[in-house]
Amino acid sequence: MIQHFPVLSVMVLFFSAFLIEIVGKKEILRNVIAFLAVTASLVMLACLIPSVMIDGQVISYWMGGWAPESGYAIGIGYEVDSLSLLFALLGITAYWLSCVYSFGYMKGKQNLGHYYTLFLMLAGASVGFFLTGDIFNMFIMMEIVTFSAVALTAANTDKLTAIEGAFKYLVNCSIGSSMMLAGIALLYMNCHTLNLAQLSAILPGSFNSTTLLAFALILTGFCVESAMIPFHPSFVDAHTVAPSSVSMILSGMVLKLGVYGIIRLSYIIFRVIDTSAIQVMLTLIGTVTMFIGVTMALAQHDFKRLLAFHSVSQLGYIIAAAGLCTTLGLNASLYHAVNHTLFKGLLFLCAGAVIHSTGTSDLDSLGGLSKRMPKTCICFVIGAFSISGLPPFNGFVSKWMIYQAVYEKAMQTGNFFYVVVTVTALVVSVMTLASFVKVLHSVFFGQLRKEHEDVKEVSPIMLIPMGIMSFLCIFTGIFYREFDRVFINSAVTSAFDNIDYVDGMMGDGYSVTYGLAGLTGGNLEFSYWNPYVWLSLFLMVFAAAVLVTLIMGRTTGRTLESGEDYDSAYGTGDLSVDFRGQTHESGDPEEKYAVFFSGEKAEYSHAGGSDLFWGFKYNWHRYYEVLQGLHSGSVNDYSIYAVIMISMLCIFMYIFMR
Amino acid sequence: MLILRYLFYVLIFPGALFTVLVGWLLAGLDRKVIARMQRRIGPPVLQPVYDFFKLVGKENIIPAQANRTAYKMAPFISFVSLSVIMLFIPIFGFTAVNGVADLIVILYLITIPGVALIVGGSSSGSPYGAVGISREMVTMMSYELPFVLALLAVAKKAGGDVLVFNLTDIGEWQVMNGCMAFHWSMIPAALAFLLVIPAEVGTQPFDVAEAETEICEGPLCEYSGAPLAVFKLSTHMKMCVMSALFTALFFGGIRTGYVVTDVILFLAICVLVTLVCITTVHAVTARLRIQHLFKFYWKYVSVLALISLALVWLGA
Repeated sequence: MIQHFPVLSVMVLFFSAFLIEIVGKKEILRNVIAFLAVTASLVMLACLIPSVMIDGQVISYWMGGWAPESGYAIGIGYEVDSLSLLFALLGITAYWLSCVYSFGYMKGKQNLGHYYTLFLMLAGASVGFFLTGDIFNMFIMMEIVTFSAVALTAANTDKLTAIEGAFKYLVNCSIGSSMMLAGIALLYMNCHTLNLAQLSAILPGSFNSTTLLAFALILTGFCVESAMIPFHPSFVDAHTVAPSSVSMILSGMVLKLGVYGIIRLSYIIFRVIDTSAIQVMLTLIGTVTMFIGVTMALAQHDFKRLLAFHSVSQLGYIIAAAGLCTTLGLNASLYHAVNHTLFKGLLFLCAGAVIHSTGTSDLDSLGGLSKRMPKTCICFVIGAFSISGLPPFNGFVSKWMIYQAVYEKAMQTGNFFYVVVTVTALVVSVMTLASFVKVLHSVFFGQLRKEHEDVKEVSPIMLIPMGIMSFLCIFTGIFYREFDRVFINSAVTSAFDNIDYVDGMMGDGYSVTYGLAGLTGGNLEFSYWNPYVWLSLFLMVFAAAVLVTLIMGRTTGRTLESGEDYDSAYGTGDLSVDFRGQTHESGDPEEKYAVFFSGEKAEYSHAGGSDLFWGFKYNWHRYYEVLQGLHSGSVNDYSIYAVIMISMLCIFMYIFMR
Repeated sequence: MLILRYLFYVLIFPGALFTVLVGWLLAGLDRKVIARMQRRIGPPVLQPVYDFFKLVGKENIIPAQANRTAYKMAPFISFVSLSVIMLFIPIFGFTAVNGVADLIVILYLITIPGVALIVGGSSSGSPYGAVGISREMVTMMSYELPFVLALLAVAKKAGGDVLVFNLTDIGEWQVMNGCMAFHWSMIPAALAFLLVIPAEVGTQPFDVAEAETEICEGPLCEYSGAPLAVFKLSTHMKMCVMSALFTALFFGGIRTGYVVTDVILFLAICVLVTLVCITTVHAVTARLRIQHLFKFYWKYVSVLALISLALVWLGA
C-alpha cells in the first residue's frame, strides 16, 4: 500500500484541481475539496516518514508497471528517498497553510474557482517535482509550476503591475526551462536514458564535454528557479504583486525547487560536487546573492518587495552552504531551507494580514498597527527575529551551522575565500536584522496613522496558519536536535550516498556494475549551545526580574497610561504627551519637519519607512546608484543578464572542469 | 543541589548580581576618572548606584502612543540577556556553564540588548525614538564587521587547522601559548576590539544613538522611572560584559590557581580596559555624526582587524 502513496499524493492534488474547475461556482464545496485534497496529500506524505526517514528505505514506483528492461529504464518512475521526502513534506505543509489562509484572504475576490484550480495544480506539480525519478518528468513539473505561478501572480487582474510582474516571471522562467530542456536533450543523446537513478549510475563514470555542457545548462535552469544572481529581479517583481497567500508559496516554496534541483543534480546525478571548482562556484554564487539580496532589501519601502529581496538573500545562504560538500554544510543548508519556508511564509502571511486590513503595503504610509493588530504583530516579531537569526528562534540554529560549516571549510582547505564567505554571511545577518527593524518600526510600532484608526485584526482563519508557523519557528529553534536527527540527517545521508538511490530504482546490485561509491563529507559534528540550558536560565532570570518589578512597582509612583490622565492629574493642559496633534493633518511636509526639529507644539514625524538608515545609505550611495540602475524593471535587461550568466557558467565549466 | 548551583550562578555569580555590581563599579570609575581628566572633582564612585535607586523611586509614565507590552518588556529583556551572557564568558579558569557557548553565540547574544533598546525606542512612538533607533541600528551594522573580523582572527589563531569557536578552548590555548594580546599578529585585532567596545556600550564619541543634546537620548526619550533605571543599568552591565569578553579573548591565559585571585585579577584587567577604551576616548573626543561613524568602522577599524586576520592566515 505504502508504495502507492507518493503517486497518489500528487494525483489527488491534480484530480481535485479539475474537480474544482467543475464545481467552481459553489464556494463551500470548492473550499472543502481544496482543503481535503491538500490534507490528504499531507497525510499520505506524512505516512512515509517512518519507512523513508527513519528506516532509510527508498520507495520506488513505476507508472503502469513499466519496470526496467535489461538494465534500461523506459517508463516513468517515482522515487522517494529522504531528500525528496523532506522537500515534499516541506512543500505540502506550506501549501496546506497557504490554503487555509486563502479561505480568509481571498474571500470575496473574483474568479476564485480558477484560483483554487491553479493553486492545486501548483501544489501537485511541486510535490511531483520532488518525488519524481525522471528528469524529463521533472522538467514537465517545473513547467506546470511556472505556468500556474504566472497565472496566480496575475490573479488580481485589475492591477496592471500584477500582469507586468507575471509577464516578467514568465519570461525569466522560460529562459530557465529552455536551458534545462536543452540540457536534458544533450543528456538523452549521450546516455540514452532519462531516469535519474540510471543517469546517476552512468554519468560519474562517463564524463565528457557533452555531459559537461548538459550539466552547465541544467544547473542554469535550477539557478533561475532558485532566483540566484542575476536571475532574481523578475522573481522579486512577481512576488511583490502576487496575492500574499501566493507570494508566500512562490517565495517560500517554489524557490526551493531550484535548491532541490541543484542538490540533486550536483550531489547525486553528476556527483561533481567533490571538485573544488564547483564548490567555489556554487558558494560564490550564493555569497554574492545573499549580499546583493540584503542590500537591495535595505533600500526597499514596500513591505512585500522587501520580503522578496530577503528571500533572494536567504536562498543565497542555502546555496552557499550546499556548495561546501561537507556533511555539516549540507545539513545547515537543508535546515536553513526548511527554516526559510517557515519564517518567510510567516512573514508573507503577516504582510498579507496588514494589506488585508489596511489596503496598503507601503512602509511609508503605515505605522502603529501593533495596538490594532496585536496578534499579527507578535507573529511578525517571531518571524522577523527568526530570519535575523536571533536566539532562540530557528534561524539562529541554521545560520549558526552555516557559519561553522563555512569556517571549518576555510580551515580545512586553507582557502581564504571561505573566510570572506563567513564574514559576508555574518554581516548580511546583521543587515537582515536592520531591515526587519525597519519594518517592525514602520508598520507595527511608531505612530498610528489617522486613516488607520479603525483598523481591525484579521479573522481567525488567517491567524491560525500564522500561529502554526510561529509555533514551528520556535519549535525548530529549540528542539533542533530532535528535528535534525529525524528529518535533516537522513536527507543528508541520502544525498551523500547514492547507492541506495540507484539500487532502489534499478534493482539490487545495479550500482556495483558501474562501480559507484558514496561521497564522503566528513562527520557531522557540530557543537551548539544547549538551548534547554539557555532557555531555563533565561526563564529563571526573567522570573526574578518580573518579581523585582512587581515588588518595586507597587511602592513607587503611579503609571500614567495616557496624555489625558497626565493633563487631568497635573492640570497642565498646554503640555501634551500625545504627539499626534493637529499640525500634520495639513499634509505639508515642510511644516512637518520644521515642527519636528524645533520640537515645539505637537510633534509629528514618522521617521520610518525609507527614511530609516540614511546614515548607512549615505555611505553606500554609489553602490546603490549602480544597483538601482541594474534593477531597471525592464524584462529585456533581465533577459540579457540571464544570457550573460549562462555564457559565464558554460565558460567556467569548460575552463575548470575539463 | 544542581538547581541551587544554577540559581547561584544565574542570580549571584557570575550572573545578574555580579554583572550589576561590576557594571556599577566600572561606570562609577569611568565618571570619576573622566572628571579628573577634565580637572573636575567628579561624582562619588557610587553615583551610578544612587542614580539607579533614585530613578526607581520616580514616577513611571507610559505615553499614550506606546505599545505598552513591548515598551515595558524591552528593558527587562535587555537586563536578562546581559546577565545570561556573563554566564558563558570564562573568568580565567572558571566557567559557570561549560561547553554550550562559543564566539558566534556570544556575538548574537550581544545583539539582543541592542535589539531590546531598539524595540523599546520604537514602541514608545516618539519621533526622537525613531531617529534614535535608526542611528542605533546603523551603529550596530558599523561595528559588526570589525567585531566579526576580530573574532574570526582569534578563532583562527587558537584553532590552526581545526575549527575552534569555543571560548573555553580559546582560554586553554592561551594557557599553553601565552595570551593572545602578547602575540604580535593579534595586536591589530585587539585594538579593533577595543574600538568596538565604546560603540557597543554607546559612549562618546559613538553615542550618536543616544545623543542627549540633539535627540534627547533617542530611544530612551520617553522612558522614565524604573524602566529607565533598568535601561541605564543595562548600559553599565554592557561595559562589564564587553570588557570581560575582551579579557577572556585576549588575556585569557592567566591562571593563579585560586578562584578569588583569578576574579580580582580579572576585574583589574576589566577596569583597565574600560579606562583605556571608554574613559580616555570619551575624554578626548567629541561626538561623531552617524555617517562618519559608519565610515570610521568600515574603513579604519575593519582594516585593523583584517590585518590581524590576514597575518594569522599567513601563519604569523
